[in-house]
Amino acid sequence: MTEVREVPLTEWLRALDQARAAGFAMLDLITAVDRIGVVEVVAVLTNPDTAQRCRLTTRVPADQLAVPSASSVLDGASWHERETAEMFGIIFTGHPDPRPLILREAPASGVPPLRKASALTERVAREWPGTPSGDDLRRARRPQLPPGVRDEWMSEREPA
Amino acid sequence: MLHSLLATREFRLAADPLVEVRVLALGLACCAVEVDAAVVAGILVPADGEPDREPVREPVREPGGGFRVLVVAGTVTTPLVPAVEAALGQRPLVDAVLAFGACASTGGPYWDAPTVINGVDRIVAVQQYVPGCPPCPEALRDALLSLAGR
Amino acid sequence: MTSREPRGVIQLIPDACTVCMICVQECPSWCIAIDSHHEEVSEEGARRPRTVSVLDRFTIDFGLCMYCGICVDVCPFDALEWQPQHDYPAATRSGLEHDTDRLASHGSS
Repeated sequence: MTEVREVPLTEWLRALDQARAAGFAMLDLITAVDRIGVVEVVAVLTNPDTAQRCRLTTRVPADQLAVPSASSVLDGASWHERETAEMFGIIFTGHPDPRPLILREAPASGVPPLRKASALTERVAREWPGTPSGDDLRRARRPQLPPGVRDEWMSEREPA
Repeated sequence: MLHSLLATREFRLAADPLVEVRVLALGLACCAVEVDAAVVAGILVPADGEPDREPVREPVREPGGGFRVLVVAGTVTTPLVPAVEAALGQRPLVDAVLAFGACASTGGPYWDAPTVINGVDRIVAVQQYVPGCPPCPEALRDALLSLAGR
Repeated sequence: MTSREPRGVIQLIPDACTVCMICVQECPSWCIAIDSHHEEVSEEGARRPRTVSVLDRFTIDFGLCMYCGICVDVCPFDALEWQPQHDYPAATRSGLEHDTDRLASHGSS
């Protein structure tokens, strides 16, 4: 059973600290999800005695991606936050060591790789085998897009 | 630092009494677990578990020393390329290179990722591609025997 | 779908395929491709000929396939089936692409 709780950004560190004090002492991960316009920061903690889990989330507007760093509350948060920072473009304020963790260089597009706006260029460049053609194209009500590919990526594609 | 993390491990194929196949396994990602599953299943026998046998580290092949196959198991990511090249450069001579699983063969489900090399054949010539995500240990055995001409 | 089905290879039953393209469009790896054309079929008693899709070529690139089984699950006509064979390594990259006949032959051995 995983306990799931969404907390306001102002309560983020307090909620993590309370969870830790309640026995969820082991940090499994910190990551984020791009909800488009809003980025949801996720922390999963485990109680090592009961194996129960607790998932805490907080929502941050995509144009103000600043979240207080949990590294003062949870040992082990530092690396997760460094990865989440570079992958989602979030600034973890008060982080003791905010260097990138995995990416050797910033993405050429300027968009952090795990944000929805970051195009999977290979999927844009390669012809999708599911593209309707011939008679099917004339019948198709609207152009179909492959799963996981966004409209805004295709609009940047060079016309064939 | 990363360069020293990657090393090949040595095995012997236990499947066929008539052919001696030596396996050097370079595990890069989850498919490496399936190579270990082949050990658990008794398909591969760790070479260092047989101290009386001739070690396969010698850089020069001896005639009749068995068929030697380098098995690359797992995703080749761009940051790993120098480490993979270093590991390949240090390997003993082999008769064939085997790409084990979709990632080593083509990039697999990560073919769209900007940080994934679409197949280890971009780095080293491959003689046998084993499909699967992951392939089962028996697929490794069959591919090794097929390479060895059995 | 049972959790114990052997995910060795995917067999195509060409006669069952109606070229609906659902498997191609649902495949996360983009490893399925279908070529087809349309034919008009006149049936006795029918006022107008019927247009049907005819399968020309069905390929699965097992080099890219992640054996998720979504294609097998979504096929409305049960034209794709799991088979236990695992022994089909290839000496070349393109040897992992199985065409209609090869896909149809899986399961017959």
